[in-house]
Amino acid sequence: MKRILCLLLAALLSLGQLTACSIKKEEAETEKVSQATSASALTSIYNGELERNVTLRVLENDTAIEQGYFKELIAAFNEKYKDYGIVAVDANMDQRSNLADDGPYGYGPDVLYQANDSLMKYVDGKHIYPIPAENLECFSQIPKNAWAAYKSEVDGTSYYMGVPVNVQSSMLFYRKDMLPSDWETKWDDNKNKVPDMVENWNDLYQYSKTIVASGEGKYGYMRSLFDVYFSSGFLFSYGGYIFGDNNTNPEELGLSAGKAEVGADVLQKLAAVMNEECIDDSITVNAYSKLADGSYFATMTTPDVYTLFIKELVSEYEKQGMDREAAQTLAEENLVVTGVPMLPASGDLTEENPELIPFKAMGGINGYAISAYTKAPNASLAFVDFATSYEMLLKRNELLGIIPARADAAKEAGGVAEVVFNSLDKGNIVIMPSITEMVQVWAPAETFFTDLAKDAFRTTDKKYTSYDTLKSALKAVDQQIYDAIYTLSE
Amino acid sequence: MKKLTFLRSADRNVKASICLMGLGQLMYGQIGKGLAYLVVFACGILYFLKRGASDLAGFFTLGTKEADAWFGIEGDNSVIMLLMGILSLAAVLLFIGCYFSNIKDAYETQLLVQKGGKPLSFREDLKKLLDRKFYKTALFLPIIGVFVFNILPIIFMIAVAFTNYGGSIVPPKLIDWVGLDNFLQIVTLKKFAPTFGRILSWNLLWAVSSTLLNYFAGLGLALLLNKKCVKGKIIWRAFPVLAYAVPGFIILLGFRFMFSYGGPINQIITDLGYKAVGFLDIDAKWMARLIGLLINAWLSIPSIMLLTTGILANIDGNQMEAAKIDGAKRWKQFTKIILPFVLFSTTPVLISQFIGNFNNFGVFFFLRGGLYLDGYFLASDTDLLINWLYNLSISNNYYNIGATISLVIFLITSALSLLVYVKSPSYKEEDVFR
Repeated sequence: MKRILCLLLAALLSLGQLTACSIKKEEAETEKVSQATSASALTSIYNGELERNVTLRVLENDTAIEQGYFKELIAAFNEKYKDYGIVAVDANMDQRSNLADDGPYGYGPDVLYQANDSLMKYVDGKHIYPIPAENLECFSQIPKNAWAAYKSEVDGTSYYMGVPVNVQSSMLFYRKDMLPSDWETKWDDNKNKVPDMVENWNDLYQYSKTIVASGEGKYGYMRSLFDVYFSSGFLFSYGGYIFGDNNTNPEELGLSAGKAEVGADVLQKLAAVMNEECIDDSITVNAYSKLADGSYFATMTTPDVYTLFIKELVSEYEKQGMDREAAQTLAEENLVVTGVPMLPASGDLTEENPELIPFKAMGGINGYAISAYTKAPNASLAFVDFATSYEMLLKRNELLGIIPARADAAKEAGGVAEVVFNSLDKGNIVIMPSITEMVQVWAPAETFFTDLAKDAFRTTDKKYTSYDTLKSALKAVDQQIYDAIYTLSE
Repeated sequence: MKKLTFLRSADRNVKASICLMGLGQLMYGQIGKGLAYLVVFACGILYFLKRGASDLAGFFTLGTKEADAWFGIEGDNSVIMLLMGILSLAAVLLFIGCYFSNIKDAYETQLLVQKGGKPLSFREDLKKLLDRKFYKTALFLPIIGVFVFNILPIIFMIAVAFTNYGGSIVPPKLIDWVGLDNFLQIVTLKKFAPTFGRILSWNLLWAVSSTLLNYFAGLGLALLLNKKCVKGKIIWRAFPVLAYAVPGFIILLGFRFMFSYGGPINQIITDLGYKAVGFLDIDAKWMARLIGLLINAWLSIPSIMLLTTGILANIDGNQMEAAKIDGAKRWKQFTKIILPFVLFSTTPVLISQFIGNFNNFGVFFFLRGGLYLDGYFLASDTDLLINWLYNLSISNNYYNIGATISLVIFLITSALSLLVYVKSPSYKEEDVFR
């Protein structure tokens, strides 16, 4: 009996395999044809009439919820649309919740706020709706390269899949009180009242060397090289990139493109004036306290962690006997956040009066998208339009310190927001690729940067002794990423 | 031959039960049981008409229509279809089982009647289920639970190993059966084979050495704390228990920080005027492996110590005394009495430790995860097969390859465990310690 059952199941399995393929192919073809003859997706989704008496579940950023911004946003939106009976509520789920897992089963939010790489991974399965971006009030205020992070081609047509809200990128954080007292006379060659060591890497390198040489156990610039988000900017600045065709073509890998090896060399030279803590990522955890206790003069990170630095500085000042208010004021005055310094075009950090080129940092754009499983696409679009208005983005900046992706809001916010926005506008922020293949980039690149940092401390068996060796290593990284993407799908 | 005899000797009522479930019982006048079988039959048929048949077909096709949320096309979800297909296969087997039990039951009644007895009434049948066949009643629900929560996921994982699920082929895209392609990829792709060989050999070395180290160190500690001369045993035992009580991954993350360049161990070394040691950096192959081994020992020794402490308490004191009188030295006592006694009781634990260590995901993931080294494909020199599986399936979304490697791991560990168990005193000398 057992044998007969086994044989029966095996026969069914083989038969199923043979028939399944033919049925599947046939019907898939029919589906494609029907889609091609359908009207454009945008007109089929949005009819322009707001759905009445609906509840929109909005997935927001945790900080926006904690700091009370989200409460203000939905209160204002609900007030505006109360005549339609549209109510926006907190979707009440993890901010990294995956729409592809929840959406098809009816558990996903209607509108979601996530980083561009997270949102764009939903495009392949059509888990999010395309957005009629040109009809939104914010369209003309957001730079093209920010929109590009959300542009994707589906069924032969280009669509915007999300709306940029917030720009994330690298910034230089430094302590004003650790500048040399004579910086205005000796470290301000261009007399622009900004210390040279925070304007260009050559001076920052020189100054770091001076601090290390003083023998007090202090350092100038410190940062973990392990972190691809920050280290890759050195490769980008000299012609490297991640994927071809503006980070959309995974078949073309370009971390070794152009003169990326020059950037790698600059990074290694910088590692040499740090200590071995730059090899692993423990420094990322230490950076706040080390800057606060005066061990580091400067580091590079994203502006959203500003409050953590301030907190550590305040606690340090309090330990020295200051009261909380005075400590807070002094911390805010002492900690300066500015754009990332310029690089020498030659790649020579010891060159005097070098020709300078801008630092092209990796960045990200957080934004809103509309779930393809929403029952109210028009109301969701109205929410996105409202949440990306000038007033709301300005409020978001005020409460959360984020950098608005809108030109008018960034200008009004001024300071760091304006610096970063201008970098984005000038193309000096390379938006993180929005394609799913990006997941295969991190580990190989992290390994390379770890090895590069380690090499600065190897004595006899150095691996990277010339531009050629660096180029070969970068090519190997490209190959490794390519293999990770394609080996298994061959 | 037996079947032919059965068919020849089966009476009219049994044949009726073969034709229609419960009919034979009804003809014997067993109305309650007959109706119950008929209800099962009707439910089975209804289930197959309503969804069983389509679920079963779905298991083979894994979907024919792709969903398109933009145009409101509700397509097939291959993963759900695979799962429901397995359930419907189980339902088919259950239904066939019920059908056979119906025939068997009718035949048993026939034999009873032929011997001059009366067919059992519904009440007597129920009584039998609560008495003589109570084990069946009691085990019914647990068996269903074991099937749904244990066996179903395993069958699902095994099935995934024969599909192309992963990479860009995830729902709403349709998944297909690919036969043995995934297994062939693992052994034939030139990038896979060397990595697989390297990781497997390190994995075996790791599993054997860490199991032996943890086991003997745990036993040693238990023996030490068992000594009469040791004072404050409870306090000394509390320390390993504390280490055991803290979640492993917290300890591992703590160790990662401690061994990093910015961590306290290197701080102490540099403060003493020596050069920082790259315990876990990119070049630290054997050093990193050794640290992993020791940290794993820190995590596992307490459990072995607690276990063996209990077993040592059961050693026959007279036997030990006799050995001492006969002049057996401590080492002899250990190798001839204590070790065989402890080994007999703990071989299954030793095997589970071996499997646990073979599949020890946490140690190197938390200590040294995120590196892909030269000569390895999506892995580093400290990764075990389970870490490689994670890199492939979770970091790179190749669920099918992950499932395939899981099957390979299962084959290796089960073969080794079986071999060790068959050779162990627990199996060979079962009577010795009884």
